[in-house]
Parts: sequence; structure tokens; C-alpha cells
Amino acid sequence: MTDKRVYIAGLGIVSALGTGGTETLEALASGRSGLAPIRRFRPPGDPLPVGQIQEIDAGRTMPATHRLAQIAAAPILTAGGPPPDAVIVGTTTGGMAESESLLRAGVEDPEAYRWHGAATVAADLARRFGCTGPVLTVSTACSSGAAAAALGAALIRSGRAARVLAGGADSLCRLTYYGFLSLQLIDPNGARPLDRDRKGMSVAEGAAMMMLTADDGNPEAEILGAGLSCDAWHPTAPHPEGAGALSAMKSALNQAGLAAGDIDYVNLHGTGTIDNDLSEALALRALFDTKLPALSSIKGATGHSLAASGAVEAVVSVLAIGHGLLPANTGCRLADPALALFPLKTPKRAKVRTVLSNAFGFGGSNAAVVIVQPDRFSPPRTVERPPLRIAACACVTGAGATDATLRKLDAAGSCAGVLDEETLCRGLPPRLIRRLRRLPRLALSLAAEAAGDTRPQEVFFGTGWGALSETDRFLTRLFESNEQYPSPTDFVGSVHNAPAGQIAQFFGARGPSLTLTGENDAFEQALLAAELIGDGQHGPVLVVGADEAHPRLSPLFDPASAASAADGGGALLVDRAGSGPIVSLRFLSGDGGSAGAIDQLIDALGADGAGARYGAILAGIPAGKKTAASSQLDKVVSACRLAAPVFDYRQWIGQFATASAAAAAMACRWIGQGRIPTALCAGAENFEDGRGILLLGLGDSISAVEIFPG
Amino acid sequence: MEPLLKELRVKIVDILDLVDVRPDEIDPDARLVGGDLGIDSIDVLEMVMMVEKDYGVKIDNREVGVKVFATLRALGEHIRQNAPELQG
Repeated sequence: MTDKRVYIAGLGIVSALGTGGTETLEALASGRSGLAPIRRFRPPGDPLPVGQIQEIDAGRTMPATHRLAQIAAAPILTAGGPPPDAVIVGTTTGGMAESESLLRAGVEDPEAYRWHGAATVAADLARRFGCTGPVLTVSTACSSGAAAAALGAALIRSGRAARVLAGGADSLCRLTYYGFLSLQLIDPNGARPLDRDRKGMSVAEGAAMMMLTADDGNPEAEILGAGLSCDAWHPTAPHPEGAGALSAMKSALNQAGLAAGDIDYVNLHGTGTIDNDLSEALALRALFDTKLPALSSIKGATGHSLAASGAVEAVVSVLAIGHGLLPANTGCRLADPALALFPLKTPKRAKVRTVLSNAFGFGGSNAAVVIVQPDRFSPPRTVERPPLRIAACACVTGAGATDATLRKLDAAGSCAGVLDEETLCRGLPPRLIRRLRRLPRLALSLAAEAAGDTRPQEVFFGTGWGALSETDRFLTRLFESNEQYPSPTDFVGSVHNAPAGQIAQFFGARGPSLTLTGENDAFEQALLAAELIGDGQHGPVLVVGADEAHPRLSPLFDPASAASAADGGGALLVDRAGSGPIVSLRFLSGDGGSAGAIDQLIDALGADGAGARYGAILAGIPAGKKTAASSQLDKVVSACRLAAPVFDYRQWIGQFATASAAAAAMACRWIGQGRIPTALCAGAENFEDGRGILLLGLGDSISAVEIFPG
Repeated sequence: MEPLLKELRVKIVDILDLVDVRPDEIDPDARLVGGDLGIDSIDVLEMVMMVEKDYGVKIDNREVGVKVFATLRALGEHIRQNAPELQG
């Protein structure tokens, strides 16, 4: 395989500084700040400065996050060209700005929440662009946008995609405004990153999108390297010496094949909080010593657009290279001598070949991206990685953990349901979980069982709906107290990647940590991310999928779960060197509604000869999509001449988004035993001739995961 | 022990979900944060909300917070001196 370049061939941006590259450049060249007191809603206290975008206020038909993503993507869509092979959006809020108002008003019609899911932002863009490939949603809190770019670059370098639309979007909402306020991380005067008297950040909204391509057309810039890491330190506070930030920057430079001295400009994460700026400064000084390049944070101008910020700043980095403009560190009057960073006080015209752009988030999720002039440097060497092999697996269902679940299935008993908390938490230290609600408990329980005595170093987590208990508790208390006493604990726990952060902290996993959100294909997205990013060099890799059943929110957000409450998930401990069963994602499409996706799946599996490879097919058929899913299944079975018996596993383990993660763990066990219980899947008693199991995800998204004996 | 400290111990165990701590195990003069109780910075912020909501006392900067949450007794003293309802 040849070394691939990852070009940035088109871009779009919207922030408090304006819409589009030209407006953004003009604002950055003037050094002005876009921060102003919040107007979107009226808080009981003084309205705090935020980065707000006025144009999205009027006449909205979709939530603000979706509209921001559309605005950012518009120039790329207008430019035309073939549809992207994949869409990757970093977001944390999704439709929260609207959902929180609906919840407050007591609206109980699930239709009103159809745009709630974080994954619907990417799904909406995919539809507009006609993308029939993977549609991924990265939710690693404030590093999401940069992590989305990193994942997009990895997808192109792997050869699995030639064009990827990647970016980030988040909108202002009460959850984040009051959440950060409850953590005392807001500067009432507006963010002053790196300033001696800085008091915190300013919450903002925004979006930025990039078309990443493998072809040189007329590219604006090139992504030469990206690095991901996890602090494994604390749910919110950065590592005090910036160890995780340093590791992400080093890994980005390493992939880019550049030395620290090659970097012309660093676009800082620079939120303006006391701790972030300090730890980032320590990391930068460890990397650059005294030879610091030009550097600045633009968050005193744009505010902190959370999951969008990494993408917004990647686009600003591209603009800096294309237009020779180094943005100022707006808001900083007297640089904190303790940081010793000397940020740019005013915008500066200079030739920029190379930019290092940082983004760090809650859960200790760090990302750094190296963006350079196109075709100036050699692209990174392509790394051929052996497949992922399953060293151990675990699942949780209503029947209990792995053994209890498999015993019950052996006896042809249904495992669908909600496991009691006491059984779920057996074996987890009480202090570790005292502040955690159901989803992080599920995730930790799965991770602990799968990991056994090993210490995984990378975590890939998929969740359909995130931490619903924490979200509900946060909003309930916020509204009951008339927006006066939000809970910092619940806010921290409500972040989608909080469970992955807990897992990483539990094991001291300092490698990449990614959380993917995707309704029914969240686990498959996490598996794809593990295939692309997980290298297993420093220890095994955890791939986990989990969802909680929440009595109030699950039926509103996930209609498939409405009939009967069920939750759980699965975990695979994988490596690239052992002898365990091989797991691979053969196909993923976010466009199950189109006939094209099924045809592509048939192509991917191979119309001829596919039938004989599998001893059984585990089909994920979501309730409410039964007709469409059954017809999809029939088409694949007939076209690929799949002779193996089909097991409709959701009927046995429950209707929840990441039921496929539990199914993957079961499949792994069944392959080890060489049989599936007859009552579940008659005719699948014998795997002895090396046949594997095919996991099909059907409905709105289509996926195919293969597990073969090692 | 004064009633305010007894009341605070119960509230702290409750709001922080200190599952393995009984209220009477909180020594009023022992280190409250970062000590044996397992209370960390997020818990401090949760206590800040409780103190503001239940006693009307705002603690909104880190320097004050470090002093106030040093021990249960220090917290009680700060509330006693600043709570509108406990004045005079």
C-alpha cells in the first residue's frame, strides 16, 4: 500500500466571529472578540459572556447544532464533487438545546425528540451529501472536533475511504452553560486565555467542516499527523503536568515525521481556565523547551465551542497557512508569568508552513493535529496492522454478566431486562462508583470483566444514548431550582465520554480514548475506530458498547426501547498479536433507508461464496423497523446465498442501541465452544470447520461484523 | 457538637453519596478534602451548591474554598459567620 496524503480540499466555518472563511479571517485580522452576554435564554443571574451566533435564532426547523453543522458544511456542499465516503462529526450537545426545553415543558411525544440524538447531526449531513458509507459521531467532550479530524485522516490513510467529511458542531444550551458554571470554570469578564488574572472560559457555539481527500485537486492544506491520548487522571481536571497533552502532541509530531522545531505556530487549546492553561503550558515547555514557536488561543475571541472547537481551530489553522495570518491571543492583557508562554498579543502576518492544533477534553481525552502546507513534506509511512483478535469478552444483560447470560440462553430463557444495581456492581469498589449512575457502572463492569488481570491501554467506547440518568438528574435539579443550583457531579457524568474516562482512569489507560455515539451502530463505530486507531503496542485494547434503560428518557429518545425496558452491553478485549478469534468490521453504512447500502453490503460480503463462511448469522433487528430490517435481511441472505441459520438476538437480549456489543461477546464465546444453543438457532451446532459468525446490524444503519476462530 | 456540624455531616454524606461513611465518622477537625473520606474537587463544588442553596452562603473563589473546606469545623464556622439566617 502506498503512503497516503490527507488533503483538506474544502472547508466551512461558523463561530461568534462570523460565517465562512472570509468573515473569520477579517475578524481574526482585527483581533476583535465575538463574546457578548448570552441572549439565547435569560439566566436568573447576570448574563455571562458567551460566543453566540445570531443568525440561527430565527425560524428554526431543526435544532441549533444541526443548523450550525449545515451552515459550516454549506460551502463544501455548494462546491459539488462526489459524495464523501464517510461523514464524521464531533458533537456533544446534539439536539440538547431543544430537548431540554421540551423536557422542561413535559412534552412526551417521542416524535418531538427525533433530532435529540448526537448522531443525528452527522446523519443529517450524510443525507444532504448523499453519503452511503459510515456516519460516525465522535463524543470526546471538548476534543471531539479534533478527534473527528484525526479519525477521518486515519480512515483515508487506511484506504477504506477516499473522501471524508469531518468536523464538529455544538450549540449553546442550558446543560453546558450551567454545567460549566457549576464547575466554577466561567470567567464572568469573558475568557482571557493565558492571562495572569484569567478566571475561566466562555461557553460558545459553532461548527466547522472539512472535506478530507486522498486526491490532490487544489487542496488548502494537508493533515500530516494526529495524536490521541488520555490523561487517565480525573473526570474533569487536566493532568497537572500536562502529561496527556504532551503525549498527544508528541504522537502527532511523530506521525507527521516532524520535529518540534519544525512547527511554525501552535493553536492552543487555551480555554482560559486556570488549570487547563497551566497544564498546557507545562506540556508545551516540555515539548519545545525554550524554543517556543508563535502561539495563541483564539478562545478569547470565539469562546469555547466545546466539541466544535477542535474543528473550528483546525479550520483556523488552515486559514493561517493559506493567508499567512497568525491570530492573536485575544483577551490576554498581561500574560501569566507562571506560564512563560509569550502568546501573540496582536494578529501577525507571517508565512506559516506548519501548525500544531491542540484540543483537550473532559474524561482526559486529548487530541493534537499537525496541519501543513500541501505537498511540502513526505506523508507518513503507511502502517499495515494485523487484524484485531479477541483475547477476552464480557456482556451484561437483564440476566446478569456473561456466564449468567449464557446459562440463561442455554436454557432458552430470555435475557432481556434491566439488571439490578447490586448484581451489576458486584466486584466494583464502592468508592469508585459512588458518584456514578447506571451507564458508567455498566461500562466499568463490562471493562473489568473483559480485562481480567490485564491493563488495557486504549479504550474505544460506543453508546447509543449516553448517560441518561446523569442528564435527567442534572436537568431536573436545574429546572426545579429555577436554574440556580445545577449539580456539578451530574454535569460531569452527563458527558458522553465520561464512562470511557472512568474506564481509562480505572486501568491507567493513557493511549487513545474515543467515544462514538451512534444509536444502533454505536458499538460498530467504536470497533471501526479501534481498527483504525488502536495499535495495541502498549497493552490490550478495550472495545466497549453499553446503554442504560432510563424510565423517562429512553422511551422518548429510542422508540425501539419503548415496549419493554432493557439494557446492558458488551466488551471485547482485543490485541493484534494473540491467537484469539479475529474480529473485523466488514461494512458500515449510516444510510439503511436506501437500497444502495444493502447492495454495497452484498458487494462487501461477496455475492459468491459468502454463504459457506458462516456457521450462524446474528441479526440485529430493531423493534419498529422490523419490516424494513427483515426485507434487508432477506435480500442479503438471498444475494450472498447465506445458508447459515439466523438468530434474531434482540428478541432474546433486549431492544437497546448497543445490544450488538452483547451479541458480539456471545458470538465470541459460542465460537470458542463451537456451537450456539439449539433453541436459539437451530442448525448452528457445529463450527468445527473454521466457520465464523456474521453479526448484521439492520434498520436505519447497516453493519456487518465478522468473528472467525483464531 | 453543635447542631450545625451534625446537620452538615448528614448532608455531606447524603449529597456526596459517601456509601461507606457514616455521618458520625466525619471528624470535625480532620482534613475534609483529599483525606480518608475520598472527597475530591468535584465533591467540593457539590458542597458549594449545597451551602449556597441551604444556607444562602456563596463560595465562588478557589482561595476562599480551600480555607472553608479545610475541615468540617471550618465549614461550619464560615456558614455561621455568613449565613443571613444565622446572624444575630
